[in-house]
Amino acid sequence: MLSFIVRRLLQSLPIILAVAALIFVMFSVIPGTFASSMSDDGRSVLDAEVMARMNKEFGLDDPVYVRFGKYVSQLATFDLGTSFRTRQPVAHVIADRLWPTAQLAFASMLFAILIGVPLGFVAALRPGSWIDTISMIGAVSGLSLPKFWLGLLLMYLFALMLGWLPSFGYGGGDLRYLILPSIALGVAPLALLARTTRAAVLDIMNADFVRTARSKGMSESKVVRWHLTRNALVIILTTIGLQFGTVIGQAVVIEKLFSWPGLGSLLVDSVTLRDIPVVQGSILVIVLLFLLINMLVDVLCAIIDPRIKYT
Amino acid sequence: MKFRTNLVIGAVLFAGVVIAGIFAPWLAHTDPVMDANLMYAEEAPGSEFWFGTDAQGRDIYSRVLYGARISLTVGIVSQLINTVIGVCLGLSAGYWGGWWDDVVNGLTNMMLAIPSLIFALAIMAILNPGLTSLLIALGLTNWSFTCRLARASALSLKSQGYVQAAKVLGYGDIRIMLTQLLPNMLGPIIVIGTLGMGGAVLAEAALSFLGLGIRPPYPSWGSMLSDARDQITTAPWISIFPGLAIFVTVLGLNLLGDGLRDILDPQARTRRA
Amino acid sequence: MLKKFVITTALALTLSAGAYAETPRKGGTIRFTAPYGSSFANLDIHTSNRAQDEIWAKAIHRSLYKWDANANKAVLDLAKEVKVSDDGLVYTYKLRDDAYFHNGRKMTADDVIWSLTRQMDGAKAYPGARYVRIIKGAIEVEKGQAKEISGLKKIDDSTVEMTLTEKVDPSFNLYQPMLSIYPADEASKDTFATKPIGLGPFKFVEYVPGSRLVAERWEKFYEPGKPYADRITISIMGEAAARDVAFRNKEIDVSILGPTQYVAYKADSELSKGLLEVAEVYTRVMGLNSNFKPFSDKRVRQAINYAIDADLIIKRLVKDKAYRATSWLPISSPAYDKDMKPYPYDPEKAKQLLAEAGYPDGFEFEWTATSNESWGIPIVEAVIPMLEKVGVKVKIKPVEGTVLSEVARSGNYQAFIWSLTSGPDPLTSLKCFHSATPQSACNYTLFKNPEFDKLIDEAAATDDQAKKLENLKKANAILREEVPMWWFNYNKAVMAHQPWLKGLQPNATELAVQNYEDIWVEASSPAK
Repeated sequence: MLSFIVRRLLQSLPIILAVAALIFVMFSVIPGTFASSMSDDGRSVLDAEVMARMNKEFGLDDPVYVRFGKYVSQLATFDLGTSFRTRQPVAHVIADRLWPTAQLAFASMLFAILIGVPLGFVAALRPGSWIDTISMIGAVSGLSLPKFWLGLLLMYLFALMLGWLPSFGYGGGDLRYLILPSIALGVAPLALLARTTRAAVLDIMNADFVRTARSKGMSESKVVRWHLTRNALVIILTTIGLQFGTVIGQAVVIEKLFSWPGLGSLLVDSVTLRDIPVVQGSILVIVLLFLLINMLVDVLCAIIDPRIKYT
Repeated sequence: MKFRTNLVIGAVLFAGVVIAGIFAPWLAHTDPVMDANLMYAEEAPGSEFWFGTDAQGRDIYSRVLYGARISLTVGIVSQLINTVIGVCLGLSAGYWGGWWDDVVNGLTNMMLAIPSLIFALAIMAILNPGLTSLLIALGLTNWSFTCRLARASALSLKSQGYVQAAKVLGYGDIRIMLTQLLPNMLGPIIVIGTLGMGGAVLAEAALSFLGLGIRPPYPSWGSMLSDARDQITTAPWISIFPGLAIFVTVLGLNLLGDGLRDILDPQARTRRA
Repeated sequence: MLKKFVITTALALTLSAGAYAETPRKGGTIRFTAPYGSSFANLDIHTSNRAQDEIWAKAIHRSLYKWDANANKAVLDLAKEVKVSDDGLVYTYKLRDDAYFHNGRKMTADDVIWSLTRQMDGAKAYPGARYVRIIKGAIEVEKGQAKEISGLKKIDDSTVEMTLTEKVDPSFNLYQPMLSIYPADEASKDTFATKPIGLGPFKFVEYVPGSRLVAERWEKFYEPGKPYADRITISIMGEAAARDVAFRNKEIDVSILGPTQYVAYKADSELSKGLLEVAEVYTRVMGLNSNFKPFSDKRVRQAINYAIDADLIIKRLVKDKAYRATSWLPISSPAYDKDMKPYPYDPEKAKQLLAEAGYPDGFEFEWTATSNESWGIPIVEAVIPMLEKVGVKVKIKPVEGTVLSEVARSGNYQAFIWSLTSGPDPLTSLKCFHSATPQSACNYTLFKNPEFDKLIDEAAATDDQAKKLENLKKANAILREEVPMWWFNYNKAVMAHQPWLKGLQPNATELAVQNYEDIWVEASSPAK
């Protein structure tokens, strides 16, 4: 197990480096700079001297390969650089956003898992029934809605019309603020999980060995049930892992709508303002989180089903 | 049975959207861009304007119809790009194996790890917002699943008898991949394709919300929805109809994909050896 | 329309005057909002020129001057009095002796000098540098040739002598929050970046990046009895729809309104009672690049102005949340000519002018725009059919804000649409059209008119206020005639406020930026 984890971590390194390189290249060709973004509202337009100094201060005047070299050597020392906008270390800027991001991601996945998995299970146990049809249509609907639309509707309904929940903000620990954003964000993974669970359970129920055991007259013994659950669990867990990563990326829209101070809105703002160190740092952190979560999921799967071999 | 219902409803919905898009010039009442009369701004749905008018005084019904063209283009073209990239990489990786397989695996992991919305956003920013940039952005971000699938299929199929036979007969690798392997994995690939089309339409809406969507003169459902979000309380019809259009289209595509999957499920079929 | 402006401002002033007639209540929490984005840059206001950041900075920091919204000019804030020399170049400030930083230390001349010198740090790029450059010796510091600004002298602990390089009114430069006075000793420490210390009415409590900033009353604020409120919470809310819900749900005390909400709130019997409207100093324009052949001909530019029914767009699309522009200077400008009429809607005349200029069949051009709802693509979409009618075809080039800023300054465009600051100082804003002003500064259309230049030069040199305004008025009239841009509208800022929030000021430079010490909260507020 330990060797597996170490191997996975080592395998992640080239991925992280490749992502870093790709993002670096992309953002060195993007039009617009931080300096020009500071005058984008036509208000007090930055004058030429200040802009020149700004570009110099941020090292944007250096040729690309010099900048890349500096960037890589910084990364090697785990230094994510300094944000153009805040003039603070990128690590600090990102660290401020990590807890709210984690809260939102966990809450929405929890919502998705707690409702989606049982729903899919129930649907699979009675395929073709009205429960199955309704839950699957509901699930598919959940995957067919634009998130900001859903978010606005939820806000309008539960905050304004019913007054049950606050409509925006972080709340600094007050969990009521977490509810609406999590639901808006969690509907899509919920739908996907419901469908995946249903498909996984159905597949296994139709699989040969169960059919064989039944045809032999065996009742659903505990062993068979355990096989069923275990296989299904592996598939479901893998989906959860992948969805976790998606959720962090998709959270952008929800974060902007609900004023939730997460990594997603930091990332989008930084792209808009061309705060390149923060963009690079945030993407790397998100990628790292995604790889870690999936590794955890794989470890869990290996524990559940030792037959799974990982090369 | 239930399985077939998916397919039928999905196909009907999708066909409906396609027809709306193709015949938009005949079905629509006005030109979606030029017929903007500010005197009729934000009128509720009525006999003249079936879906009402938007803030510019344009007929929403006509814009929704023309918007189908954009959304379908976005969905189909971006998925086509996705599929081509995914199949090329996955098929070759599975068939040839070795270092190429490692490279493709690494690439796939990388693309899976980067949040696709952010990546698309960055590409749109680099290429400047527009329909072509959107197609490129969406086409480049969503090929991972197709690639994995193609690779897995190639891996399992390459040891099949007919493939070995073809090799013995002296068929070139490319020919084998295209004529022997590809046809046998089309099913699941098509399924992923249809599901991906729905995702592309939703992604376009999200990008519009973030300010980098497709822009005029084409009316796109995503930008219609995003533009109207301030008027949700005062003129809800401006966002309801494009929102419904997106919902119906994506729902139809998802149901269609589900239905196709139920038919093409490898465990359920026995053909093609 | 000018009448409407006068009435609205009078109303606004009456509201605030009426408010002042009541007795301010001490206590409560002000729940303010920062609507221009989803984050603040950081907690060092020297680094940011954005309105969004000024919103929090005004709670915690102060500058030498502050903007008096009712008088529509900058007044002394951290200084008690100022003496100007006869040649108008030397300003001697007598600083307050009752100004204390939030750590208890009294402000001295050293702090003022340190803060202004910091702006000129050549290794960093502070946006305020352009405003401090008017002080003699500042450029040398910027270039690294000197460590101190020679024109900034400490006479004693509470007196500062400032020598300028030219005869300008420094109040317009030094009232901005980005030129706040920091404590010289504390500000050099690293902790300052996370716990700012200033001279403002509230002292810093907490900052959740991307969400909100909280500050509480500074008991030793130099205005006696103020601030009235105990606390202030500034929530960052960039989405207008979300603000709308939160405001109606009484979770926030103020909200800057967009056109749609403006109509909705005006129509609501309760909400319409809490609307503060102000003509801001922003002019929305369509810049016409004089290097693009059709636009080099004045007749074409005028044709464009005749071809667009701006009043209709303002009424229907912008929902009357703007004032029709006659030329560059906005209504609140002292050099505004209220008798000047805007271009009437006359498509026939437009076609005629185009034919005269050699474009009887029209022409095509590319219009660069952002997705901003008030001065972006929605406006362009409304204009396109109107231009189409006179034969002019438009191709939209959508860009992000940062790209627009770049192409306008580099001349890489044919036409753009933007919202530009046209005040509060008419001389500075008109200087943008002086031929000596580079395109990268603010002469985006490369306007060149010798008569205009002469008028501006004279106005800058003269001490006679009447002559100065006369010249500026004439210069503004030239702009109307030469139309280097399509003059669209002046912004009408609208802020909705809850009935229990009093003391808001009609700040024409930026309505969302308020002097919080003058605001108080009635007991009916749900916030404690």
